[in-house]
Amino acid sequence: MRRLILIFALLAVGAAQEQKPASPAPAEPSLAGAIDFGYRWRSDVSGNFNTYRSIVNLGAGPRLFGLDAKVQNPSRRLFDRLLVRANGWGGDPYNTGRVEAERSRVYRFSFDYRNIAYFNFLPSFANPQAERGGLVDQHSFDVERRLADFNLEMRPGSAVVPYMEYTRDSGRGTGITTFVADGNEYPVLNRVRDHTNHWRYGTRFEYTRWHMTLENGVTDFKDDQSVFWSGENRGNRTTLLAGERLLLNNLAQTYGVFGDSIYFKGLFSASPVSWADFHAQFLYSVPRSDASYLQSNTGRFVVLSSLLFYNSQQASLAAAAKLPHTSANAGFELRPFSRLRIVESWLTDRLHNAASGQLTDQILSGATPVAAVNPFTDRLVLNYNQQQVDAFLDLTSKLTLRGGHRYVWGDSGTRTGRVAPVQGLVPSEIRQQVGLAGLHFRAGSNLTLNFDYEGAASERAYFRTSLRDYHKGRARVRYLPLASLTVSASSSWLANDNPTRGITYDFLSRENSLTLHWRPAGGKRLSVLADYSHLALRGDLFYIAPDSGARERSFYRDFAHTATALVSLALPGQGSVKPALTLGGSLFDSSGSRPARYYQPLARFLLPFGKHVEWNAEWRYFGFGQEFYLYEAFRSHQFATGLRLLR
Amino acid sequence: MVRPPLTWSANHAPPQARHLLTGPSPALRAVAVGIFWGASLLGAQEKPSDYAGSETCQACHEDIFKAFQKNAHKVVDTDKRRGWQTRACEACHGPGAKHAESVDAATIRNPAKLKPAETDRTCLTCHRNQPTHAGRIRSGHARNQVACSSCHSVHQAAEPRAAAAVNERCAACHAGVWAQFQRPHKHKLPEGAMSCVDCHNPHGSFLVKSLQAVSANEPGCFKCHGDKRGPFTFEHAVVRLEGCAACHEPHGSANPRRLVRAEIRELCLACHANVGPPPASSPSGSLGGIPPAFHDLISPRYRNCTLCHVKIHGSHVSRALLR
Repeated sequence: MRRLILIFALLAVGAAQEQKPASPAPAEPSLAGAIDFGYRWRSDVSGNFNTYRSIVNLGAGPRLFGLDAKVQNPSRRLFDRLLVRANGWGGDPYNTGRVEAERSRVYRFSFDYRNIAYFNFLPSFANPQAERGGLVDQHSFDVERRLADFNLEMRPGSAVVPYMEYTRDSGRGTGITTFVADGNEYPVLNRVRDHTNHWRYGTRFEYTRWHMTLENGVTDFKDDQSVFWSGENRGNRTTLLAGERLLLNNLAQTYGVFGDSIYFKGLFSASPVSWADFHAQFLYSVPRSDASYLQSNTGRFVVLSSLLFYNSQQASLAAAAKLPHTSANAGFELRPFSRLRIVESWLTDRLHNAASGQLTDQILSGATPVAAVNPFTDRLVLNYNQQQVDAFLDLTSKLTLRGGHRYVWGDSGTRTGRVAPVQGLVPSEIRQQVGLAGLHFRAGSNLTLNFDYEGAASERAYFRTSLRDYHKGRARVRYLPLASLTVSASSSWLANDNPTRGITYDFLSRENSLTLHWRPAGGKRLSVLADYSHLALRGDLFYIAPDSGARERSFYRDFAHTATALVSLALPGQGSVKPALTLGGSLFDSSGSRPARYYQPLARFLLPFGKHVEWNAEWRYFGFGQEFYLYEAFRSHQFATGLRLLR
Repeated sequence: MVRPPLTWSANHAPPQARHLLTGPSPALRAVAVGIFWGASLLGAQEKPSDYAGSETCQACHEDIFKAFQKNAHKVVDTDKRRGWQTRACEACHGPGAKHAESVDAATIRNPAKLKPAETDRTCLTCHRNQPTHAGRIRSGHARNQVACSSCHSVHQAAEPRAAAAVNERCAACHAGVWAQFQRPHKHKLPEGAMSCVDCHNPHGSFLVKSLQAVSANEPGCFKCHGDKRGPFTFEHAVVRLEGCAACHEPHGSANPRRLVRAEIRELCLACHANVGPPPASSPSGSLGGIPPAFHDLISPRYRNCTLCHVKIHGSHVSRALLR
């Protein structure tokens, strides 16, 4: 933050000194950049404030909207170039910062920081009491995730480039989660706190005909979640069970999970001859975790299987898991003739999770404790393989055709659930033959047309909704009828069927979009950017209703219109005072299984005073509504104004 | 001695050897390559007089030359190791002496007008060592003939782009994807807090959708969502087998948790449909039949499965993902 303030001060001084003649001394560092700061007002949010916070979450107050500063240092002492960027400081839910420093051929350093607040409290979500007028999301959170990334490269541009990186990802906050017991579940308080540290170091070898990267890394992580409650909590059950009221009086659940991982990455690529390229990559990681868990709860509970009521429970667990994960891929590109390219690649991905542990549950029913000790093991195996060949033929200098084939095969094994245990692992396989095709047409720089298609017939797939017998394609055209006008259109679709008896899955999505960008006379007086997109999606799936055992069909529909537009106008002005007005925004309107509307219009006014100072003002509106959840709607106006200093 | 050229192609071979290097016979080609490679190391190259030098280019292309001084590629003009000292322009454009004499566009190579694959090859001569060049060769961009120069500026001062500028560049082609970010529940890209390249590697990746990888071979989602990373004592198989996108629409959705279905129960029932497990002897069935969903979904208590199955991404304590 201090560094940002320093840069801010430098920019302000720089802007104030704009009238002074430029220093002729070439060795002086030069500063260039811009800073945006100001104040935002927010109207009272009408409607549901929690929904507003879950979706927009912008508040009122002074803000540093943006900073972009660059220092060039001709003396090359310490650095040649220093870059500082910042965005959204002063209370916004997403603060970012970036610092880059470089001394040519000596080092390149970057630091990236983000702090993103996630607030999610939506009355319609995970709320069994919604129909009774309850407005408590029982699966909500208010957390901040921070990501800091330091990267240092030595001797960039040389043949041998050592590098190292440290990344820290952490999250902390509070929320509501559920404590689940037989016959009832209770919304309780949740505190999350986790972090992951990544260290990696390696060397890149960059020679004319071959390149290689060797990298090692270490990761450690810790997850200390705690769940707690104090006071009478009747949970979601509204009725008595065998004449007893189930309730929770006190709860403490603590998770202590920590783990680590080492990993290795090796990459090799070479072009030994002009008509062939080769590449290979090997990746290996071994994440491990150790978990401890303690639970203590008092109240009135029941073991449903024996209808045993009890008042107190204690549980403890110690468990460990290890997941060796190996990935490798290799391939080549051959150009036997000037018009033909053949690209062949092969990929394998293998992971195997093995876990074991012991859970001890003790309940106090009357004066007699009943203890159960449950040792357990669990496994998950995945072997995935893929081989693909593509041939590209330049039929003419403007037209390239592509055809190819992909074969996917693999197997997996998972342990079954506790409800209907099956010995051993449940096996599953994937077998997929995929045909690939495409074309690319270009007529100068005015017209490009692209078409991409793949279709598959599968013998086996892992899940009912996995890609099985599918066709998907995309067509895209970009046309410049005038030098100032660009028109783009694209269309994509995916049709996936699983005709297996008992599944009969039928999925279709179509998305069409049109973009127009018009900047007459280089956009000096008028600029128009407009997008429109339409999505139509339907998915039908057979299932057996758990409550009735009847064969049912699930229908999912989503039809969405999305449009964004920005029209910028240069207004009449005098001298260097040339105001500009921007109008536009975005709208989203969908119908189907979850109809929703979300409007975000905006108007922006810019008034420059000379070359180095601009005044700007912006109005924005956020309006959200859902047909099935009217109580989640909100509306909010926001007005922001500030200065932009440029140098 | 003239060093071997940066762009090493048959065009750099002596005229008498070029047909051997581009001819169709692999055996003959292998021999020729061996001979020529050895010869190239001894310094048998094209004549220096084919080249005009960057200063000659500057005379006519002053604006490009000026911009180039602030571009990272400027290093090519001064770096002894690369063999293109004072001839950086010709590293990509090829020998320019004829063009300097004739001032005819047809006598100089313009990578921007080459076929995309040829443009890529010119760039990859130096930039082969991308974190995933292996991916580059298989990436959707390469497959669809999107050349490096479609996104990258070779001449202009190329500062690292701010997130908003990256997103604008990607949205120019992926308008449909950008439209999804106008939905209420989305990753914070329109706000400038994230960019497309935080999740996708536009150069390609061994993962689907050119997803970034973290810790060598784990999906890039775990870089920020470290608490979902595991390994868990009890894994939810779909997370490992099909990835986060099996349940989530990461770009944007009307669903509060960006689920691919409107309601949680519909999403869960897609797999846990009570149809039963595949017979042990035939692995052709689908996973998820076990455990079946046996709850009364008419009751509001059971409509949101994650209300009780709180550890849906994986649990260290409960096989049913309850705690």
